[in-house]
Amino acid sequence: MAWADVAVVGAGLAGMTAAVSLAEAGARVQVLATGHAATHWSAGGIDAGAVAGTATSREAVERLAGQAGHPYALVAAELAGGLAWLRTTLAVEGLTLVGDLDDPLRPIPTSIGSTRRAAIVPEGAAGALPVWGPDETLFVCGPAGFKDYWPEAIAAGLGRAGAWRGEPGPGRIEALSVELPGLRARRNLSGLDLARQFDQPAWRSDAFDAIAAAVAERQRRLGHSSSPGRIALPAVLGLADHPAVLAEARARLPAIPFEVALVPPSVPGLRLFGALRAALRRQGGRLIVGEAAHGTIGADGRLAEIRSPAAARELVLSAEAFILATGGIAGGGIWADGPGSLVEKVLGLPVEGPADRAWLADDPFDPAGHPLEPAGIRTDAQLRPVAPGAGPGGSPLADNVRIAGSLLAGQRYLRERCGDGVALASGRRAAAGSWPQ
Amino acid sequence: MTIAELVAEATAGPVGLSADECLKCNVCTTVCPVARVTDLFPGPKYVGPQAQRVRLGTLLAPGSGQLSVVPSPDRTVDWCSGCGVCTTACPADVKIAEMNNRARAVLRAGHRPRLRDWLLGQTDLTGRLGVLSAPLANWSLHNRPFRSLVDRVLQIDRRAPLPRFSRRTFRSRLGRHRRTAWSADAPPPERAVVYFHGCAANYYEPHVGQAAIDVLERNGLEVIVPPQVCCGLPLISNGLYGQARARARTNLGVLAGYARAGYRIVGTSTSCSHTLKAEYREMLDLVDDDARVVAEATWDICELLLDLHEQGRLDTSFGRLERTLPYHPPCQLRSHGIGLPALDLFALVPGLTAMDMDHDCCGIAGTYGLKSEKYDIAMAVGAPLFERIRSTGAKTAACDSETCRWQIAAATDAELLHPVEVLAEAYAAGDRERAAGSQAGSRP
Repeated sequence: MAWADVAVVGAGLAGMTAAVSLAEAGARVQVLATGHAATHWSAGGIDAGAVAGTATSREAVERLAGQAGHPYALVAAELAGGLAWLRTTLAVEGLTLVGDLDDPLRPIPTSIGSTRRAAIVPEGAAGALPVWGPDETLFVCGPAGFKDYWPEAIAAGLGRAGAWRGEPGPGRIEALSVELPGLRARRNLSGLDLARQFDQPAWRSDAFDAIAAAVAERQRRLGHSSSPGRIALPAVLGLADHPAVLAEARARLPAIPFEVALVPPSVPGLRLFGALRAALRRQGGRLIVGEAAHGTIGADGRLAEIRSPAAARELVLSAEAFILATGGIAGGGIWADGPGSLVEKVLGLPVEGPADRAWLADDPFDPAGHPLEPAGIRTDAQLRPVAPGAGPGGSPLADNVRIAGSLLAGQRYLRERCGDGVALASGRRAAAGSWPQ
Repeated sequence: MTIAELVAEATAGPVGLSADECLKCNVCTTVCPVARVTDLFPGPKYVGPQAQRVRLGTLLAPGSGQLSVVPSPDRTVDWCSGCGVCTTACPADVKIAEMNNRARAVLRAGHRPRLRDWLLGQTDLTGRLGVLSAPLANWSLHNRPFRSLVDRVLQIDRRAPLPRFSRRTFRSRLGRHRRTAWSADAPPPERAVVYFHGCAANYYEPHVGQAAIDVLERNGLEVIVPPQVCCGLPLISNGLYGQARARARTNLGVLAGYARAGYRIVGTSTSCSHTLKAEYREMLDLVDDDARVVAEATWDICELLLDLHEQGRLDTSFGRLERTLPYHPPCQLRSHGIGLPALDLFALVPGLTAMDMDHDCCGIAGTYGLKSEKYDIAMAVGAPLFERIRSTGAKTAACDSETCRWQIAAATDAELLHPVEVLAEAYAAGDRERAAGSQAGSRP
């Protein structure tokens, strides 16, 4: 039987935030995760909240915290501190988050030619944040033949009315496909393959020459050389060596470059996970990936151990406290079973959610949201699970179990864009309650 | 076995059907060590769950109710090294590596195996012959012109790390008193274990087997060494499931009785022990009671020693080993899902600073990196690991799996030890310290 002071289930942003915080506080931490997920799908920034009628993340967070039953009603106070902590943790690996809770939410381009509102983005995307001037040109520029980033389609999408969500967009949008050295002969490349290419100094030097020449040529043709504009590149500017690649892009290109997040696997998300994993290792925390935990709360209202299947004989992990950060329905923390109930996968905790007949909503794209979105585990202020529908004063179903991230009931993280902020704030709160800080 | 039966096997069951859980998120592609270094392998998602949908779809010929035999849609699956990192990383629990291995077996079914692949699977045969002719075999296998010839004829790369045969097998060195079969006077399961030495300890590294016996006996466990054959993994890796199943049956026939009686089966090769634990079930479909009890009774030696420690039963009178020890946890160890027990054991040795090299795979993946067409890929997969080990400046490093040890030793010039050899050394150091202390104490 293995033991830890605190066992964390799940290795997304919430789980890793909790685990690293606990390890920093001196706890022996063991993380168990079924696999990698949330971070590898993320754009690498912190979406703390963006709802209609709010200009900043802080306003959105305050609005959501005012809604009874929203996770922010319990943990919003942890967000600013959590963000500061994350910046410090990422800085060790050379990563920087640009923007803050009080900065305006700005429309930033996506790889499908739309925009999304964000304020706190990885440094590589920072060039997308400033308000566009009418004389600025946006060069949407990608490697020729790269299947996850089509400059013409993106430029066309960004040129549509309303694409910039009522805010000023660039005066002109240009699409450029650039032949990068040696790629034509290669197989279907992913963003990750390209990021690894950019980690190679000699190759990236040639690649930046090619991109710079193509942009400069287009600038000359447009006669816009007095207004440099910006270059939207796919988010592939290096994985291991990203800070150096980004610095080189800024120095070498004739306009301000910024990265646009791609479909998974997302390179900025991999950078974020890599930095959190490195922080966990530095602090002596442990991580086992590939194991799905399950356990049973004892009659004394405490969880003594969790088990995972391992190769043949269950791995038994005992701990003083447990944090479940397994994600919601999309993340696999909640399972919808055949007979029509929602099941929490680790402990079988009762899930707050709609009856099965509401699952098949008439309009899956109803602006009011899908009834399943806010399904999750209801908790008290310490994030200990309570019965569905119980308020924060409900009596905990387990004293030493805490819930973090999108497993928490009451959020619509796709719509409210609050997933990263909730993960960070609840991860910090769960850690603080599980071990003396 | 007919191709139709093999196709049915490869696509049905818990491994094949887990493709249905695939979200297409590409997390597996981000961790694949082979796709990282070569375009020849498009990545585990494409050849695994993605191609599996075609395999599943072709299971029944339309309207006939009959199996239709459709070849695997993607031959690039052969570039998979079988390291298994994709399966551990998958958030949806898809058995990607297992699926790919089975798909490869289907590709090979109905064809006579390549002589090279057949030969690499016959570890007992090559081991026995090699030990019999050890001086000659070792000379020729490390002779450049001969290796070039082997490379040309068999496509076993002339640069690939081949181990040296021992002049005697581990089994032949066992003392007369060593128990190799159960008898009524055998100690009860709390005081004895069954040792599965595998081919590496028997034919190449008897010192690893001896270190295991020393360490286990020091902790009050008699070591029973029943007759056994190759676990079958090299056959599984080369798509020779029929032969692998025969090996498995032989081993299960011997081991199941011990397992039922409550004895633990301990292995020093982390890949053999993983084969007993999981691959008999997941690759070979051996799901009967013998296979189950043996799987549940099997322990990696470090896992077992750490378990003893957690029960307060491990002798911790280790002496000082003042050194930095780079440690590579093999990919197969990760598939055990038990964490890194060797690191916890190393932490008990005073003066020893073990450093997890934190690299997914050394590249060799059993027999993969021996093959001429795959040697360069294997070396590229392991390159960051080799560089990290070299940069520590350490003369010795540790790793739980023999083929990884041979690969790393060849690539770094470090001496590679099994963790249990390090522990045996630490016990010996402790004995010396105490002897010196008692001598000093007994002086007038």
